[in-house]
Amino acid sequence: MSADASDLSLVRRVQRGDKGAFDALVLKYQHKLVKLVMRYVRNPAEAEDIAQEAFIKAYRALPQFRGDSAFYTWLYRIAINTAKNAVVSRDRSPVEYDLDRNNNDESYDMQGRMKDSETPEGLVLTDEIRSTVNAAIDALPEDLRTAIVLRELEGLSYEEIAAAMDCPVGTVRSRIFRAREAIDRRLREVFEGGLGRAEELG
Amino acid sequence: MSRPSRSSGRLASLALAWAVASVAAAEEAAPKRPIEYTPTGWLERMDQALTTRNYDGTFAHWQGGRVEMLRIIHRVQDGTVSERLASLDGSGREFIRTGANLTCYLPDRRTVLVEQRPAEESLVSFPTVNDQTATFYDIREVGHMRLNRRDTHVIAVSPKDEYRYGYQLWIDESTAMPLKSQLIDAHGQVIEQIVFASLTLSSRIADSAFRPEISTEGFQWLRNDATPHPQAGASALAWSATNLPPGFRMTVRSAQILPGSVGAVDHLVFTDGFASVSVFVERQSAPSGQPPVPESAAVGSSSAFSTVVDGHKITAVGEVPPATVRYIAGQLKAQGAAAAGR
Amino acid sequence: MNEELDSQLSAMFDDELLPAECELLARRLSRDEHLKARWGRYAIIGAVIRAERGVRLNAPLAGRVNAVLLAEPALTADTAPRDRNQARLRWWQPLAGAGVAAGVAAVSIMWLRAQAPLPGAPQVTQVTAPGQAIVPTASSAAQGDSYVVPRPKPAAVMVPSTELANYVVAHSMFSNPVARRNLLSAFMASESPAAGTQEPQSNVKAIAQ
Repeated sequence: MSADASDLSLVRRVQRGDKGAFDALVLKYQHKLVKLVMRYVRNPAEAEDIAQEAFIKAYRALPQFRGDSAFYTWLYRIAINTAKNAVVSRDRSPVEYDLDRNNNDESYDMQGRMKDSETPEGLVLTDEIRSTVNAAIDALPEDLRTAIVLRELEGLSYEEIAAAMDCPVGTVRSRIFRAREAIDRRLREVFEGGLGRAEELG
Repeated sequence: MSRPSRSSGRLASLALAWAVASVAAAEEAAPKRPIEYTPTGWLERMDQALTTRNYDGTFAHWQGGRVEMLRIIHRVQDGTVSERLASLDGSGREFIRTGANLTCYLPDRRTVLVEQRPAEESLVSFPTVNDQTATFYDIREVGHMRLNRRDTHVIAVSPKDEYRYGYQLWIDESTAMPLKSQLIDAHGQVIEQIVFASLTLSSRIADSAFRPEISTEGFQWLRNDATPHPQAGASALAWSATNLPPGFRMTVRSAQILPGSVGAVDHLVFTDGFASVSVFVERQSAPSGQPPVPESAAVGSSSAFSTVVDGHKITAVGEVPPATVRYIAGQLKAQGAAAAGR
Repeated sequence: MNEELDSQLSAMFDDELLPAECELLARRLSRDEHLKARWGRYAIIGAVIRAERGVRLNAPLAGRVNAVLLAEPALTADTAPRDRNQARLRWWQPLAGAGVAAGVAAVSIMWLRAQAPLPGAPQVTQVTAPGQAIVPTASSAAQGDSYVVPRPKPAAVMVPSTELANYVVAHSMFSNPVARRNLLSAFMASESPAAGTQEPQSNVKAIAQ
């Protein structure tokens, strides 16, 4: 299994004119990219703007991407450069530490909530998503929970997880899939049930 | 089991009830043995499913290094076969058949081809595997495996010579539909593959499922005329092939007019029970201004070959290696004085 | 069958899907809004597990990027890495210059296609061992060398596409059902370069043994 085949297959489609494939790449990496940019810019809304800019720069630069490095690595570098430029141009110190804020999840949530309240009706609140997902994960059978946490939190490959859990790779794949299914079932309710439209893709 | 008579009646009835129950339980508990089919039997079941069941599915068609997604809808109702095969990848091409009426929508060429097939053709069946076939193909079950959560029997049809292609078919155990099929050349290379991504066998499919979705405004329509050309009968007798590749024999001979063609076209079909090759014979129209068909062509993994014999253009088309169509076309000979220009 | 698709989606999200399967799924993913939405929710699940605090989980970022890209010119095939199958011939095109050198056997069958070969697929089908001629029947021994195929003449002319199309459609009524589906599918195939380029797993030998 060649590494990065997943991203590469999407990248190749984009390089051939399929913009829809780029959506998938954005959806996959948007949170990571925003998180990354927030090292430079603390305001989430501003971080999102910069991340957006980074994605667009990546799209325009895609013809030069040859697959020598992993796509995310390449995207990551573009995002850092974009963030640094934004900070420099706004004459801000790149790292603004507020120890209280960093440790106080509450205030981040509040900030998130504030932001969400300014957004149009029908969008689901971040904290509601978070609590739904967390509750769903808590409700998972242990083998499913372990598998998906090892995958998402530790970033282990299926083979590594198989070794850690002493089971076949196929079982790992199945457990992770079933974990996602179970969580997604609840998540879909939150998105689609009663609050109007589902995710904003356009 | 001797007991005081007072309770013997009750025990007896209990015993009887138990006996009845246990027999029933034994019947239920006995494992149901699946009917075991021979490899050829699987092929027959598969052919039957493909041609008589109603189904609607999407599949990936891989050939020549490219993958396409297509949708297929098939229905048999009141003895009439309706089919629709549509490209899902933007070419917009569709093939729709209702009974004897075949329509090809080619939006990329702004053309619609309409072919009215002869009514009696529906009585002609496709090639069927028979005892003779085993002489030229090795047919065996090479696996029993899960594919897309379905139990399938993997049947390999291996040709014994290079005149024909081989197949490997993953046949669904319960419906006998080929969930995956591969075409294999003489070197064991897969040269074509179809894998179903979704497949539904339904009892009812509405007529609306067979209506095209594209607008044909401004398109060129090419139709054929189903009535045989008056001279068709005479010319059909004139052509035959000697020295066919082993196992091939002629099964069908007809004459018709194809869309866009000038005169009658003789259509001969040769088959070895599995593969089939059509040979079309057409009187060559005046050379000026009419470009000849190239010698060889490929339609996916099928081969076509054309040559000119005695003022007639002979084209062979079939799902066989190129050399086979070339050979068969080269074997067509006109009998008697019917050959023009002699 | 949808479960299989979603399972593949999950595996592809983790980059644990075979390249050939990625190619197919990538196409579907780019066009299927439901699949895309599910993919997006997978990303959200991951973000929650990593407790990426402060990050808005449902930000309309993808939508905004999409909106901007709508105005951007689409990247063209020129920008794509060179497709090794670019020399592929369409079935209505002439085969000028398509000749392939014959092998050294006494009788050989030439593969006349002009398509670039599949990786690993031989260009010449070396059919017989020396001395083992292919002769259809004993009585045609004299004509046995009709199997030796000369190089095709160059400069063949464009075939009117409808002619071969007619033959294909007419023949399809006499093919076995599996072959018929192959034939008509190929006929329906689009000729755009946007298709995937992976070859299917050739598990013939694996299964046979």
